[in-house]
Amino acid sequence: MPIQVNELSKQFKMFKREAGLSGAFRSFFKRKYETFHALKEISVQIEDGEILGILGENGAGKTTLIKLLVGLLHPTSGEVNINGFTPWNRKSNFLKQISVVMGQKNQLWWDIPASESFLLNQKIYEIPQSQYKNTLDELVDLLSVRDKLNVQVRRLSLGERMKMEIIASLLHNPKIVLLDEPTIGLDVISQLKIREFVKYYNEKYKTTFLLTSHYMHDIQALCKRVFVIHKGASLYDGDFEELVNRVNPKRKLLFEFNDKPDYNKIEKLSEKYNFHINNTILQSELPDKELTKLVSELFKLGVPASITMEDLPVEDTMRSFFTDPEKFLK
Amino acid sequence: MKAWIDKYFSVIRMTWIQALEYKANAIVGTFAIFSGLAIEFLIWKQVFQAQGLTEIRGFTFNGLMAYIFLCMIVGQLKSSWATSMEMIDSIRTGEMNKYLIRPISFFTYHFMMFIGHNSLFYIVYSTVLILFPILLPGWAFPTLLHVLGFIMALLISIYLSYAIYFCMVCFAFWFGEVRALVIAYNISNIVLSGQIIPLRLFPDSVRNIINLTPLQFLVDFPVSIATANLPIKFWLPKMGIALSWCIVMTLAGRVIYKSGIRVYGGYGA
Repeated sequence: MPIQVNELSKQFKMFKREAGLSGAFRSFFKRKYETFHALKEISVQIEDGEILGILGENGAGKTTLIKLLVGLLHPTSGEVNINGFTPWNRKSNFLKQISVVMGQKNQLWWDIPASESFLLNQKIYEIPQSQYKNTLDELVDLLSVRDKLNVQVRRLSLGERMKMEIIASLLHNPKIVLLDEPTIGLDVISQLKIREFVKYYNEKYKTTFLLTSHYMHDIQALCKRVFVIHKGASLYDGDFEELVNRVNPKRKLLFEFNDKPDYNKIEKLSEKYNFHINNTILQSELPDKELTKLVSELFKLGVPASITMEDLPVEDTMRSFFTDPEKFLK
Repeated sequence: MKAWIDKYFSVIRMTWIQALEYKANAIVGTFAIFSGLAIEFLIWKQVFQAQGLTEIRGFTFNGLMAYIFLCMIVGQLKSSWATSMEMIDSIRTGEMNKYLIRPISFFTYHFMMFIGHNSLFYIVYSTVLILFPILLPGWAFPTLLHVLGFIMALLISIYLSYAIYFCMVCFAFWFGEVRALVIAYNISNIVLSGQIIPLRLFPDSVRNIINLTPLQFLVDFPVSIATANLPIKFWLPKMGIALSWCIVMTLAGRVIYKSGIRVYGGYGA
């Protein structure tokens, strides 16, 4: 068990003030402090080589959890054990086993080429020259950025910069990688490339990945299991497909008849099933079992010219989930 | 040990590469000090001429100019206030995360960045210091021993100055913004360490107070050695006290950092 989290809580003391100059003036002399519970008794176990998706709306506590797991923050209470290390002790041997990529923060030096930052990381992580060269060659080719290695970081596109950040974070072959919004702001092609890369890297090196993302396609493509945090508390820990089915068990059907079907029979079917029909094309969104029954009934009415059954877009499903997550998981 | 040296030398190397990206800034920064020297030269020349003085508290005009020139160089070489500002910002904005997730020391990493940034000054000023006894014989560095003593005292000054700044930087863990504190210290340190006016020209009561602090070791001590204003028999005892201040400030910085990091918020994603 590489990562074990037991009843982890984190509170922040925050001061609040009213808007405007008078509010600022009052708060200069007297500040109102409030305790914000960022995480409430979170427990989770993560296996070697797993890709776990951490989901939650903005401010749910995802990034706080990641910061605690890499030792950036000290918890208010609870324990974390990662391969025998407590993260916030920040032992050198622990830091050499992990890596973090934060989509909105960079570790590369802005004014000089990424290749220089890679050399610095080689020395910081004490990576032998041959290992460094082989790893860099592999990563650069996989992410197709060889021709950008000697370009100043500030001149790179967002997608190229993210790829360089990922390379910098993997040079020391970490056992655990935490990706916090790695595809934020990227175009569809770059998102796909990064997803494919993470999948390949995980399969090849059995590296454990923890991924937070607001793009459900990232989660769908990479994570079999997800951990949902809502208002700092653990809400769901399990299979992603199962969660999607619980939120929206419906599938979409497009059934096209060869000829116009018998209107009376269609009318009768509409009393049992919910669908729309436009000339020869019938459309319906129903749970899987009902949909199968409807299809078999439709076959009795005539031979179809075409038939399509598909899942509803996962982005839409999860959007409705996050409007009121507790409702779906009761 | 080799890995440790490699690791932190790489940081210095990176700052060199970065400095060379912006050559105009590097050149202007290096020679900016000479404008300050010109102003000091004109002011003191007026003072000596108007009053008809041949010396002030044992300083001849040439001796005073040598002292002030060396003070400016030492002041520049030991000044890590720009690095301190960067460190405060990195704590406040969460940029510090990138140091904490890697097996490096925040203290040493930034010390090396400070050394790296100042390297260009070291090269230029070393050349100036080598030329000093040749171009202005008798003004400073009467013997080789004085050169060695000066280098030792300068190294202590550089480290001690950084360690003091580091203690102040760490208060950013609690207060977020402490640049005012660093600026206030910086102004008082420029005056009270003897960087603008030699400590010998201060009233005795003020000098007695300064002698109880580490400030005297930042500028006045190395320059007094270089200009032979401090007898050799005082060098070692003074260096002992200066090294003790280095240990005290390092330990204080470590204690403040360790408790500060517990309340660090790592904001900004």
